[in-house]
Amino acid sequence: MYPLAPAAAVLLALMVGAFFLVVAGHDPITVYRVMMRSSFGSTPAVINTLVSATPLILTGLAALVCFRVRLWNIGAEGQLYVGAILASGVALWFGDRLGAPIAITVTIFAGALGGTLFVALPALARSWLGTNEIITTLLLNFVALLLMNWLIFGSRSYWRDPVGTFPQGKRIPSAAEFPRLGDTRLHLGLLVALVAVLLVWLMLTRTRFGFHMRVFGDSEKAARYVGISARRMILMAFLISGALAGVAGAIDVGGLSRRLDPNSLAIGLGYAGIIVAALSRLNPGGVVLVAILIGGVRNAGTALQALPERVPMEIAVMLEGAILIFALSSEVFIRYRIRWPWSAHRAITGSPFAAIPTGGDRA
Amino acid sequence: MTSLTDGGAVEPPALEVRGIVKRFPGTLANDDVALTVRSGQVCAILGENGAGKSTLASILSGLYQPDRGEIFRRGNPVTLRSPREALGLGIGMVHQHFRLVNRFTVAENVALGDPSQPFFMSTPKVHRSIAAIGDFYDLPIEPSAVVADLSVGEQQRVEIVKTLYRGADVLILDEPTSVLTPQETESLFATIRKMTAEGKAVIFISHKLREVREISDVVTVMRSARVVGTVPPITAVEELARLMVGRDVDMSVRRRRAPGGDRVLELSGIHVDRQSRRGGLTGVSLEVTAGEIVGVAGVAGNGQRQLAEVAAGLLLPSEGRVIVGGSDITGRGPRAARTAGLAYVPEDRRSTGLAPSLTIAENLQLTSPHRPILNRRHWHSHARSLMDEYDIRAPGPNSVTSDLSGGNIQKVLLARELSTNPLAIVSASPTQGLDVGAIASVRKLLFEHCARGSGVLLITEDLEEIMELSDRVVVLYEGRIVHEGPTSETDVTEVGLAMAGAMRVS
Amino acid sequence: MNESLITLTLAAAVAAGTPLALAAIGEIITQRAGILNLGVEGMMLLGAVTTFLTANATGSPWVGMVAGATSAALLAATHAFVSISLRANQIVSGLALVIFGIGLSTFLGRPIEGVPLDPTARLPGATVPGLKDIPVLGPVLFSQDVVVYATWVLAAATALYLFRTRPGLSVRAVGESISTADAMGIRVAAIRYAHTIVGGMLAGGAGAYLILALLPSWSQAATTNGRGFIAIALVVFASWRPWRALVGAYVFGLALRANFALQAAGVTTISAEFLAMAPYLLTILLLIALSMSDTRRRAGAPEALGLPYAREER
Repeated sequence: MYPLAPAAAVLLALMVGAFFLVVAGHDPITVYRVMMRSSFGSTPAVINTLVSATPLILTGLAALVCFRVRLWNIGAEGQLYVGAILASGVALWFGDRLGAPIAITVTIFAGALGGTLFVALPALARSWLGTNEIITTLLLNFVALLLMNWLIFGSRSYWRDPVGTFPQGKRIPSAAEFPRLGDTRLHLGLLVALVAVLLVWLMLTRTRFGFHMRVFGDSEKAARYVGISARRMILMAFLISGALAGVAGAIDVGGLSRRLDPNSLAIGLGYAGIIVAALSRLNPGGVVLVAILIGGVRNAGTALQALPERVPMEIAVMLEGAILIFALSSEVFIRYRIRWPWSAHRAITGSPFAAIPTGGDRA
Repeated sequence: MTSLTDGGAVEPPALEVRGIVKRFPGTLANDDVALTVRSGQVCAILGENGAGKSTLASILSGLYQPDRGEIFRRGNPVTLRSPREALGLGIGMVHQHFRLVNRFTVAENVALGDPSQPFFMSTPKVHRSIAAIGDFYDLPIEPSAVVADLSVGEQQRVEIVKTLYRGADVLILDEPTSVLTPQETESLFATIRKMTAEGKAVIFISHKLREVREISDVVTVMRSARVVGTVPPITAVEELARLMVGRDVDMSVRRRRAPGGDRVLELSGIHVDRQSRRGGLTGVSLEVTAGEIVGVAGVAGNGQRQLAEVAAGLLLPSEGRVIVGGSDITGRGPRAARTAGLAYVPEDRRSTGLAPSLTIAENLQLTSPHRPILNRRHWHSHARSLMDEYDIRAPGPNSVTSDLSGGNIQKVLLARELSTNPLAIVSASPTQGLDVGAIASVRKLLFEHCARGSGVLLITEDLEEIMELSDRVVVLYEGRIVHEGPTSETDVTEVGLAMAGAMRVS
Repeated sequence: MNESLITLTLAAAVAAGTPLALAAIGEIITQRAGILNLGVEGMMLLGAVTTFLTANATGSPWVGMVAGATSAALLAATHAFVSISLRANQIVSGLALVIFGIGLSTFLGRPIEGVPLDPTARLPGATVPGLKDIPVLGPVLFSQDVVVYATWVLAAATALYLFRTRPGLSVRAVGESISTADAMGIRVAAIRYAHTIVGGMLAGGAGAYLILALLPSWSQAATTNGRGFIAIALVVFASWRPWRALVGAYVFGLALRANFALQAAGVTTISAEFLAMAPYLLTILLLIALSMSDTRRRAGAPEALGLPYAREER
């Protein structure tokens, strides 16, 4: 049932998409064929899909870590921007003075630090005061976007390329640039993302902290009973989540844009991470698969724009939203399935999105 | 229809059900259940926890839909698709877990969902009705009081007034006495008698034999989802117990106390500030010695939970000290309390004592000290041996805990807490909601550990249990100890009065 | 700053606060019934684009507004189905609505990006005779348009409905303790559906108002800009009370308009980006301040908010 449900969700989402494509005067069959071809139809297409999937793996993990303990960090978007800002700043500052491996490492860690710093305010407010994290993290996305736009478009900042008429970020030194696979756009970031998947998986399954995370995520009362500090748990989950989102920003800087590029960053990667986490049913391994799926959908969006009839690429975003709604709906069937008497063993994670109350009022 | 009902009644029964079957995933809750309830009578449904009484009540009040079976109201076949339809037919239910909106006033709760109310609510009218019902049935209640501020007994009165206000003449009371003091129970019985005198039918659901014999006109006994007999209330207690449990029950669990041990748990001068209107502690001091069971009685919400949590290191008292086996653990948290030798079996076993969606093996390791990198190698075998030792029935150590029955869940919790051979055991309502078999094994475990030198602090609203198990009784009222003494020298009436705040002994 | 600038700014703040008020009151209605709909942003956007397309096609702002409210109500109905009937997580469902709403409105709005609204389709101004001549208050409050005045009526009617009427009592009971409401014979699912959909209609109306009265042309990037989320925060600030939401909306309207006023007053030392951050930062800081005063925060939130309900679940 589990692998079927996401597939059904995708199929139903495509049907909804088809409806609106017809409304807008496009032929859905053609559009979907182009989408399929441009995301999975050839080696370059697959590589582009993997490139699109790379940040989604990280933002998906960011969402996963928080969702596992029923925290709603909706701010991966902004944490990613600030991660990119710090990563590009550090790369610009140190890049030439350090050797390539160190420069790259420093850039990645700067990204993590940026994400962590930017999540710190909502994290502290949530853990100490119980401030609803959904709204705070979400609104900070707008703040981060404005900050990034100011750095590149609104000021003559350190990040902005001083030459050229067209405002854009200063190119980072070559030492901080991630190596790429041949002459493709596939870069070291994918490896970084996969290492992050492995680390998160190990953390969840092999460490005391991960065990405590599961207890806390399952029942806060039980966690209190055991002596797990809720404050510490909330804070840690947020900081790890922010770091992962920040790394997603850093790999765009180092691997793809090679500068702080708002146009490359502000494409809803953080929000899509929520979808990735939800569809993976909070499984680190699943995150990779779903990220590739969503990466494909997004990758195809760009190709559609190039069609003679100029199908708006936002069809991809709409499809993502629809996939999430249908995936959520299919949860209910998975839930009923596991309640049937003959399936005595239930997936250990259970159904993470079923029937979870809001997070705001737990102090 | 009347011809089918039992012997010669002129009037058709107020409510009759036949062949009710209700299945839940994995369990059969009602199996071919039949019941006849007559106007002016109290019909008791007697059965153990899990026998299917509450399911039947929920079916009669329209909350659950039966898979099969017929329901007749005054001889006419009816379907009860919702509580709305049941109320429309004059069937009202007082739930064991009250259905009240805590933030609403009494009047708002009573008027809620009343179709006869005008579009713009008329509060004075509701107040007058509440006063009238209260006067007639002896259910005094202040209509403008907010429900959250009321005591449990008062909240139950609101529940009853609510159903009467809606014009119910069949009232279903689900375990109504479990939250009451003996005196409150008496006044509830007086109200019930007034209701039947008015020609109302009352369905009284309970597992307490004495109460059932006292109040009912006819007793229907349920066991394992089936009705096993309908008997007159004069039936002997032993006979009723045998029907209810399905085998002979030794009603007298007694144990010899090992006298005079060391102090294992000591609370002195504990103060906990009140949050909202209930639930603080004021100057509570008590001690538990090795081999002793100290029972803490009281009506829910008088500070019992705070007492348990202070002892377990979960709640920091604003004043006072907690000493476990000689070491002061005040303010040092639950892990320190555990290290000092304290075991805590919380009332909410499903999601406080255990993490419900974790496996048995994992839950058995919940409180163990772990290194940062887990070593899970022995978890499985450890779980296996504890499952054997504590007779936990489950498919295996990797079974998800919430899938187990209540008794087995409690055994998982006890296995973890008791297998460390604690000095002191704080146990809150350890047998609540369990069937007789599970109750017996839980009590046996507590006795065994007492015999081995543990001291037990038993906190429960079940006064009978306290009288049966404990060596000393302590009564909490509004966060103070208002009565304390050896069980052998304590009278139930006395304890009941103390629970109601009528006594101020210290 | 001279007096007329202050008056103009305040008048603009009232106008800018109106969509926030509409969306916030809609969300109050939804949350009072125990449903958390975080999709306000998506519903506003979809309402805005539908309004724009319809109003430009028909030349009537009213037809546009009805269309906008209807489209948003459809989104809200989806949320209602997913969270009430399927009992899925309401937070994720709401966020899905946002993503879907952004995607769909941009998709539908792509051909009209930057296209101005037909002047005949703009919302006409409407002054209140007599009251409009009161100094300061007249131009600020009574020289607006019908929707502004309707918002006051809406706030009053919502407060009256929730706290004084029989169905209002039922709604609040559903939001506080749905099992109690069910046991008392209230049609809980129907109430949750109805109030979620009404909340969606108002969010759609908020989007419609943005397009019809505040923004000169369609541009997805500039249309809502997080206003939907600010509206949700307003619900918390307002302790789930319509009047407080109305006042709060005007305060935020002022924050949204402050940058224009400062620019007009010749203040240029602060860049536009930082001024634009003000409403978001203000919201965050207010939320944090509010959670410091613990009791007041808890006084408002419906206790069954976000909780799904199944009668037979054991």
